[in-house]
Amino acid sequence: MATTEAAVSPGLALPPLTEEDTARSWDRSRVHRARRHSKRWYLLWLLVGPGILAMLGENDGPSMIAYASDGAQYGLGFFVPFIPLLFAMAFVCQEMCMRVGAVTHRGYGELVLQRYGRLWGWFGAGDLTLTNLVTLVAEFISIRVGLAYFHLGSGVAVALGLTLVAFTLSGGRYWRWERIVLGMALFNGLFLLAAILVKPHVGAIVSSFDFSPFPGGSFNTLLLLLASTIGATVTPWMIFFQQSASADKGMTPDDVKHGRYDTAIGAVLAAIFGIGALIAGAALLSHDGLGIQGFAGAGFPRALAHVAGGAAGTVFALGLIEAGAVAILTISASTAYAAGECVGVSHSFNSSPRDALVFYAANVGVALLAAAVILIPGAPLLSIALNANVLATVLLPVSLVFMVMLANDKELMGSWANKRSTNRIGITIIGFVGLCGAAYGIDSFLLVVHLIGS
Amino acid sequence: MQDELIMDLERDQLVVETSRPVPRALLSQRAKAGLWALRVFVVLVSLMVIYTFIDQLH
Repeated sequence: MATTEAAVSPGLALPPLTEEDTARSWDRSRVHRARRHSKRWYLLWLLVGPGILAMLGENDGPSMIAYASDGAQYGLGFFVPFIPLLFAMAFVCQEMCMRVGAVTHRGYGELVLQRYGRLWGWFGAGDLTLTNLVTLVAEFISIRVGLAYFHLGSGVAVALGLTLVAFTLSGGRYWRWERIVLGMALFNGLFLLAAILVKPHVGAIVSSFDFSPFPGGSFNTLLLLLASTIGATVTPWMIFFQQSASADKGMTPDDVKHGRYDTAIGAVLAAIFGIGALIAGAALLSHDGLGIQGFAGAGFPRALAHVAGGAAGTVFALGLIEAGAVAILTISASTAYAAGECVGVSHSFNSSPRDALVFYAANVGVALLAAAVILIPGAPLLSIALNANVLATVLLPVSLVFMVMLANDKELMGSWANKRSTNRIGITIIGFVGLCGAAYGIDSFLLVVHLIGS
Repeated sequence: MQDELIMDLERDQLVVETSRPVPRALLSQRAKAGLWALRVFVVLVSLMVIYTFIDQLH
């Protein structure tokens, strides 16, 4: 599996080709031609995708609201350097996912299931489904918040999200799906534009890289900030998605270098745009964090418009719509990959809906279910949105442990297995994430049952 | 035409190959115990988060 060999040797019978093989082969032929003719930039263009989508998909509605809220409540300071640090952590994790997908040509869910047993595979898929469903509800909320700025309601948010899912699924080609979503994901840069429009003090941004001022408040509040900010940068769906998408894209060990570029570009862009949301939110700091309470309505963009002008509010609202929309597409896709892999049926955008029914049904079904929740009168949307990232952080260590195990598996990975330095960093990350998530979960529970005081 | 198409893929990329499961890994008793401990811990903390969420609703 870790060796590269052409599919056909002279004299041997041709293995049967499926529609999925044909579609993937067309994409790969372009990569080979670009490599043969040393077209470096075209090769990079062809090979970027899973990494950028995982990273910018993680700059979703709840995450951008979390960053902006951090800015509105605490100003710049701690979070300006903390966000890039978290994306550096995300790069380490996502690089492993890409590498395993490119070398094994298999998704995360199916590898865990086949290598370690059905029980662990289904546990992982269960974690993913739960966190994805909660997060998808939050994404529809994000679109609703953005649209509310333009006086449009929940029905439009639901229709927009579901229409995008259906549109991107039509066509039966991974390449088509990827390029459409990538085009949308680049509009995550709207948060950087919002940051520029609030005319921040550049000196304050530069001086905040010493992690000061540290956020004040209670211990539980600090833990919540850490857990939710971590959940805004690395989550289980990214692990499932990037490995499966790398395999679906047809990446091979020859592409690992470009896969690293793709993941790094995604991490850098996501960090910059995340800081953009933080800076935009910090414009509300001197206004007592005005607008955060209105998250379930249109509070945030409107508050920004009040403080920094209509253009800033409009751009931020459009950014929320984009953040929610792209995340709906990538998170639904990760659910679909997990469902197809665990059931053991076709799970590729290169297959038609008829040949990959479970894959397409899961993709649409999970989005439909999440959309239905926001239409329920009185549903606790604010609570769901605020807790989405926390639950993902709590469940993340298990996915990370299996990821590191797969990346170290010499039978699967051969010479592409993890180096010792990668393992040290990976284990540190697992420890840090586990500690933050568990600390918040336990501390909050003890507060609620009055075993400790605030 | 099919020859040309198939030359652009590695053998283990073909659907007929990826449909075959990879061999099962042998986990040591210590590794299994560690995974179970982590799983139980994570489920417990998740239940705490969910309980806190429900309590906050009230």
